[in-house]
Amino acid sequence: MRIIAWSGLLTLLVASVGWAQENGSVVEARALMATDAAHPNSTIKLAVLAQVAPGYHINDHKPSLDYLIPTEFKVEPSDQFAVANVVYPKGTLKRFAFSDIPLSVYEGAVGVGATLQAGKTVPPGTYTLKAKFAYQACNDHACLPPASVPLTVTIKVVPRNVPLKPVESDVFQRIKFE
Amino acid sequence: MEEQTPDVNSPGGSKSPESNSAGDPEALKGPEGPPPENPKAPRSKILAGALMALLVVVGLYFVNRYWIAPAVKAQTKGSDTHPLAPQFSLTDITGKPLNFSDYKGKVVALDFWATWCGPCRIEIPGFIELQKRYGSQGFAMIGISMDDSPEPVVDFYKQFQMNYPVAIGNERLGELYGGMPGLPTTFLIGRDGRIYAKHVGAYDPSVFEAEIKQLLEGSPADEAANFHLAGRGPGDDKIELGNPAAIDSEIPGIDLTKLTADQKEAYKKLLASQQCTCGCKLNLLKCRQIDRQCSFSRKLAQDQLDALLKTKRNAAPAKQL
Repeated sequence: MRIIAWSGLLTLLVASVGWAQENGSVVEARALMATDAAHPNSTIKLAVLAQVAPGYHINDHKPSLDYLIPTEFKVEPSDQFAVANVVYPKGTLKRFAFSDIPLSVYEGAVGVGATLQAGKTVPPGTYTLKAKFAYQACNDHACLPPASVPLTVTIKVVPRNVPLKPVESDVFQRIKFE
Repeated sequence: MEEQTPDVNSPGGSKSPESNSAGDPEALKGPEGPPPENPKAPRSKILAGALMALLVVVGLYFVNRYWIAPAVKAQTKGSDTHPLAPQFSLTDITGKPLNFSDYKGKVVALDFWATWCGPCRIEIPGFIELQKRYGSQGFAMIGISMDDSPEPVVDFYKQFQMNYPVAIGNERLGELYGGMPGLPTTFLIGRDGRIYAKHVGAYDPSVFEAEIKQLLEGSPADEAANFHLAGRGPGDDKIELGNPAAIDSEIPGIDLTKLTADQKEAYKKLLASQQCTCGCKLNLLKCRQIDRQCSFSRKLAQDQLDALLKTKRNAAPAKQL
């Protein structure tokens, strides 16, 4: 009976792994800015929207156990932009067959925020920053190696007199930047 | 040892003292003389010896043809269902050499795992117990950690008091064993060196124990034909190993052995001219060389190679005309 139960769960596992292989990754992510452009010497809000495949989870940025690999959003700073802060959502506590204690994890849609500081004298123009969303995914019975989604953040700097338009404000409202 | 026989064909008999006395009637009668010999006896001995030698040769032929040769052939190739486990040599985390060839004739459970993997960790106490229980019966547990560095593995090894060798693995070894769709992935290898089970994900120790028991009854010379999995997921049925030619290729994951030197160069130029779609912003060739795990570049590069080989096959008959 015990074996049958394990086999049933493994069926789910392998089906999920199959999904992962077919799509190349169990996590998809994209980066976006809160506004369509930025001014020099201003704060810029960024977000990464990640989607974790059904049946999988990724670890909280502050994992419940010290051996777990945390989720991280890393932005490479440049001469024009400095990374001021990165904020992560609070994970969901969930029980797994492989752990005695509930683990704090991210599942489904995950939004991570970052605040950049534009330099005082950044000339108008378009700039790109490299970033990556690093994670390590598991389901209830197996884990995938640590991986990351490479991201490119394109920032258009405009003169101060050009008004900025908000972009996907609903996403940014859900992220607690403070 | 060679037996000496008198020369019965020479008209005067042998010139040896023994044969001279054999021709002396008095000597035949004396109590200390050599035993009487039937002139026909040596001939029958030769015939018997020849027949015996012939039988031995024929016997050896059949033994080789129906026993040794098939066994050697099977040992070299392995069956499709139970392929031979790829060989490897590593150094374990205590600094000792870990050569897979040293485990010939043993039943081996080869566990690919990592310290950051919860489902892997939960299996370890069960493996320690299996090593304790069956280690003296010809079973050996081997751990291959896929951690990036040995430090956490050494700590874990001490903390859990692991009683079997653990080495840090690498991508190549993982690929030789068919790639790791997830960790833990455990292979059950029989005394004959063939892989009988590939289990992806954490299993109950009773599954491994049932399979180990079956394999311990096997022989190093024969495939365990009646082996059955004690537990399985859909992905566990087929054991597919990596192609060393593709793994060790200058374009990782792509077997270039069917291409001529010129075609290889043309193929590389083709890949270098195309963009990878994985988001790396690199061309296909660079992406393949830098990130051998990238499934996007692997598929695209393989598709290009298949198209090239198809063109080559289609062009070949026309060339002959």
